[in-house]
Amino acid sequence: MVRAVHYLNQFFAGLGGEEAASTPPTRIEGAVGPGRGLAAALEGVEIVATVACGDDFFAEHEEEALAEILQLVEAEGPELIVAGPAFGSGRYGYACARVVASAGVPGLAAMHEENPGRGAAGAALVVPTGSSVAGMRDALPRMARLASALAAGRELGSPDEDGYLPRGFRRNHLAERTGAERAIELLLAKLAGTTRTEVDAGFDRVEPPAPVTLAAATLALVTEAGCVPQGNPDRLPSIRAAGWLRYELGGEISLATGRYESVHGGFDVTLGNEDPNRLVPLDTVRELEGEGRVGRLHEAFYTTTGNGTPVAASTRFGQEIAEDLRARGVEAVLLSGT
Amino acid sequence: MSVLELASFPAELLRVDVSAIDALAGAEDALGGVRVDVVEPGEPVRITHILDAVEPRLRVGGGRTNRIDGVAVLSCVDFPGEERPLHEQEAFVDLAGPGAAFTPFSSLTNVVLTFVPGADAGHVELDRAVRRVTLAVAELLAEPTHDAEPRDVERFELGPAADTLPAVAALVQLSDLGQLYTVYVDGVPAGEAGLPRAVEPAALLDTAVTCGEYHWAALRNPTLFLQRSSLVRALFQEHGKRLRFAGLVLMRGYEQTAEDKQRAAERAAGLAVELGAGGAIITTDGGGNSHTDTMLTCRACERVGVRTAVIVAEMADPDSTNPGLTDWVPEADCIVSSGNAEELVPAWRPERVLGGDALLDGTSAQEAGPIPVRNYLGATNQTGHLALRATTW
Repeated sequence: MVRAVHYLNQFFAGLGGEEAASTPPTRIEGAVGPGRGLAAALEGVEIVATVACGDDFFAEHEEEALAEILQLVEAEGPELIVAGPAFGSGRYGYACARVVASAGVPGLAAMHEENPGRGAAGAALVVPTGSSVAGMRDALPRMARLASALAAGRELGSPDEDGYLPRGFRRNHLAERTGAERAIELLLAKLAGTTRTEVDAGFDRVEPPAPVTLAAATLALVTEAGCVPQGNPDRLPSIRAAGWLRYELGGEISLATGRYESVHGGFDVTLGNEDPNRLVPLDTVRELEGEGRVGRLHEAFYTTTGNGTPVAASTRFGQEIAEDLRARGVEAVLLSGT
Repeated sequence: MSVLELASFPAELLRVDVSAIDALAGAEDALGGVRVDVVEPGEPVRITHILDAVEPRLRVGGGRTNRIDGVAVLSCVDFPGEERPLHEQEAFVDLAGPGAAFTPFSSLTNVVLTFVPGADAGHVELDRAVRRVTLAVAELLAEPTHDAEPRDVERFELGPAADTLPAVAALVQLSDLGQLYTVYVDGVPAGEAGLPRAVEPAALLDTAVTCGEYHWAALRNPTLFLQRSSLVRALFQEHGKRLRFAGLVLMRGYEQTAEDKQRAAERAAGLAVELGAGGAIITTDGGGNSHTDTMLTCRACERVGVRTAVIVAEMADPDSTNPGLTDWVPEADCIVSSGNAEELVPAWRPERVLGGDALLDGTSAQEAGPIPVRNYLGATNQTGHLALRATTW
């Protein structure tokens, strides 16, 4: 039998209603409340303990409550954690999501798909339920089915197959028709008035900060052109860089040919290597600085290779570089892309 | 050419004359020789360093071309480590194991040509020689069709179609970023072929476009995928039924300046309008930079009233919830996914490796761990040739 811990709020654990909402994390032996129905439907899984916490307590002492809950959970040595169902209750749903997301063992939470707490579940599984306790009868067998599958170590099927809410991960599978045939289908539907898509691209739209007066601002040079000192001393990769680098410019007024090069593997770097200022326009910016059109040029440039880098990784590079620049008082950036 | 007849012949006709192939390679100064292997579906074989795949074809005149069905010629070469601006990326095919499902080559008879670079041959001459010999071998292999009866004949002709049907054009993007990253139109690099321009749709099915683009393997459109283009064939098939096939526009991917990208996008949209298209399917070749060409073309089309569907591959980290498109415009509201190139294919140990034992990163092709889909030839190609797609889990 796989050992499981069940997480509930004070109400479903039978500790009381609103008046007990300040109850701190508590351990209860075995399955209680909805856990009993769940236990009956589980295959190969035993609920060894229930951990409960008051909704108010969790909301008001979130990190402390979570730490205590996790401690109580861990003490049971479980291989699986199950939370809820929380239905439409936002505070309860949020606590369930955080607990399963942090427990360090496979697990699932159950709640209504519009429960605001759902987003906190991250990679943990969320089983959809009705919006109120009336959905209990449907929810328990679904939770049990997925929990039993997790306990058996079976490879997870798609959200539809295994009855959980999509978490947003993009997974490959073979469709019944080719992409071309699907494109024709989607285009004909669009021409007939129904627009559908297989990819919800929706890029981040970042609100730019207030404009600066360039003549008074500190400007930094940032590039993804793979521009590095000749010989690539820090071994910046030509594709799929894992990070970014920062190189001091000293008093240099131009990136001299033969002292810098591009290691970018995604474009023809011949012209860039001929004159590295084509990668990072130090010469021009120094002139502008001399003319007083740029306040001050930051003493280092930032570089990475933008080639085949997963978006998640480049997003991280951007955030890290921006943080570093801000900490050094840089107010504007000239970003040369390739 | 207004009509193309493609006559199909069975793979049993295949006769591989190694000495004739040797002679073709021997005529090239840039080649030191060629090794020929024939491998069948299901064999525990991994093929590495693949540049292109071509279907055996023979033009027999009168608008008819013979093809051998179920056979691919795979060209493989390990470029010498010479200094060069653009580098080929590792590309392979598994004929068995978990990777087999990602490419159609695992269900074909593959004639694998492993080329040996000639002494002192530069990458430009070597690439040219490999492409020339591969296409010549594809023609040589189709010779026996001369004296055989075709199994069936597909006829590609755009007959009359009702005005009331929606007119749909195919806007097919072809890479050109420089040697090793270039697709050829009638042998001319895409960047010098006067693109965008409308061409006879059937010409694409008759090997008018050949692949010399060796960037991310999964995002390539090998020649065979264009010869058998699912998109163009499906549009022919639907012509007169649910739509009117308005025509085919070839456009370049990797236009080199922002102005050129914008200009090319607007010209492609203009050509779609000239063809009378109310809708367009826009395909992509390669990734990153060329996705911008795709998105600008999508926007330009929508702005002149041509509604679009766009085919792109995703590059989503397995642990991320971002589909990982490198560019996107709000007008791209109808996107077909050709799969996630970043997903890992479980490790598999082939019994035999063809093309080269070491992968480009120096590791063993036989002992390789899990490999991303992006290394499988054409697996997430963005002409919609295959059925792979990503969905949200």
